[in-house]
Amino acid sequence: MVPPFRRLLVANRGEIALRVMRTCRELGIETVAVYSDVDADALHVAAADRAERIGPAPAAESYLSAEAIVAAAERSGAEAIHPGYGFLSESGDFARAVEAARITFVGPPAETLATLGDKLAARRAAADAGVPIVPGLTVALDDDTSESVLAQVGLPLMLKAAAGGGGRGMRRVDRTEELTSALASARREAASAFGDPTIYAERVVAPARHVEVQLLGDRHGGLAVLGERECSVQRRHQKLVEESPAPAISQSQREALADSACRVAGSVAFHNAATVEFLVGADGSHYFLEMNTRLQVEHGVTELVTGLDLVEWQIRVAAGERLSEAVLGAEARGHAIEVRLYAEDPHDGFRPVAGTVGAWRMPGGPGVRVDAGVGAGSILPVEYDPLLAKVLVHADSRPAAVSRLRRALDETLVGGLQTDLSFLRWLVDEPSFVAGDYDTGLVAERWGHGPPLSDEELALAALIARETRHARQATRPPLPAGGATRAWTEAARRAGVDRTPHR
Amino acid sequence: MSDLELRIAGEPVDPTQDWTLHWLDRDAGVVLLRRVDGTASRLALVEGSGRDWVVTLAGRRIALEAMTWRERVMAEAEVAAKAHAGPVDVRATLPGLVVAVSAIEGGEVGEGEPLVTIEAMKMQNEVRAPRGGHIAEVAVAAGQTVAAGALLVRLG
Repeated sequence: MVPPFRRLLVANRGEIALRVMRTCRELGIETVAVYSDVDADALHVAAADRAERIGPAPAAESYLSAEAIVAAAERSGAEAIHPGYGFLSESGDFARAVEAARITFVGPPAETLATLGDKLAARRAAADAGVPIVPGLTVALDDDTSESVLAQVGLPLMLKAAAGGGGRGMRRVDRTEELTSALASARREAASAFGDPTIYAERVVAPARHVEVQLLGDRHGGLAVLGERECSVQRRHQKLVEESPAPAISQSQREALADSACRVAGSVAFHNAATVEFLVGADGSHYFLEMNTRLQVEHGVTELVTGLDLVEWQIRVAAGERLSEAVLGAEARGHAIEVRLYAEDPHDGFRPVAGTVGAWRMPGGPGVRVDAGVGAGSILPVEYDPLLAKVLVHADSRPAAVSRLRRALDETLVGGLQTDLSFLRWLVDEPSFVAGDYDTGLVAERWGHGPPLSDEELALAALIARETRHARQATRPPLPAGGATRAWTEAARRAGVDRTPHR
Repeated sequence: MSDLELRIAGEPVDPTQDWTLHWLDRDAGVVLLRRVDGTASRLALVEGSGRDWVVTLAGRRIALEAMTWRERVMAEAEVAAKAHAGPVDVRATLPGLVVAVSAIEGGEVGEGEPLVTIEAMKMQNEVRAPRGGHIAEVAVAAGQTVAAGALLVRLG
């Protein structure tokens, strides 16, 4: 079979670059990696057939530089560019620059990205298509509108960046007096993250679940609805755990969500992969949040339940192929859960942690998939997102998937830095998660900073440290025979007095 | 050498006698723990050397000190020497970009009040005063890139 493209450049790094390259290898497409100076030794560079340097460490000068990436694609002779997620994946300007260089952009048309990249425009488009949106404003806030905002939206409200994504530029406002400073800090974060300080306001829907619908469209009008994902385990409005199907959604709700998703998609010129995100309130009603026209971090759970390779179909659609009958008629089988391993300290507000990965043992066995971007000894550059890996499980039912996930996490070890693994391990025993009855408040309401260490854990840690120090002492290199070693040094060592640092 | 004293967060802890330890990968520090009654087993990771160890259990890093009698005496002397209050240097825990500076040189600050905002890994992190007091020096300005450990603010 002839590959859809001869050579494809992956304009990303980390686990998603590796993920895309895996599919390319299977399809017989040569891969081109791009890297900034700090990523020269990164795994995604080693995994590619060839690699192009695109600039220094700051993302703005490398992974966010459309110019540098298009130039790298031209140098390497790539016929297509896959943007992954984040970085330039939703930039209309980038898509335009790629097409202008006669290279295929693996994504929707540039105009679609421009419309949907503006969350305010997307809200208006969804409302016009008859899809319920979260109550709030459909115009941008200026700095003097605080009174009218409070009157129109009501408290508590959520400030959001029009160019937003990934939880950045978002601030919750509970009290009138918080509005001014929250608006200022949301603007600052939005300006720095997206280069656009435009902010709007929505009413807070709580309790709420975050449910999203996966779509795949071709250039010939074919549109596949590939089920939904539940993504309510979040911190800082960013997802930590995703599963499919959503545990507390009825068949009629599922159909209503799919219908809304298709209406939003139908309101724009869309092809390739997209996700339509909704909040689902306690009464089961849903509200459109945003539409992301790219591969999502959590696409793997949909791949596990449908058996499809979404990256493969993104590439085929970009090459002009039609979605197959198998894709259009795909049905979900079983239950899949993904957890994200981040270099973050969940005992300290999920603060990002810098450093070097020490030991690295990922789980295996039936129904387990790991998409990792790092390995033992990887250095984590502070310039980028601290996602280390995604651990996914698939099983016949949700209870079986939760058991499998618990088993998989018990096999997982990461050294060198604190990760959110301790939170994830706690989560799989948390009654509301086990029951599938949770909402976006789970982390704040039930985790906090995590439970204190038990006496047994403290005593176990003490055992391990004592035994290790003893073992390391015992396996220390033997003293040189004769020579300069003085008798008192030997005597002291025998007695366990040791002033020199050693392992 | 059986007189090692184990401490977690400064508190002495007795090693458990209900579990045994087996090495799976000595170089990487991977250990298998088995409960002696045969009802449970789990994996753990150990890193460190000499006095300072970190044990990772169920994903949680636990810092320990394993001290000989001699090290204990030295540590106590060190604590005594540090007991008097002096200036406090507030340093960057992560390398990043200084996006805002709210500390004013010569001003006063209360414990927990923000001093500097640093952006790292796409997140804005507020660095707060570890204790209240006089701001003797502000060593950074907005727009500046700082390395981990760089001095941000000195409290007098």
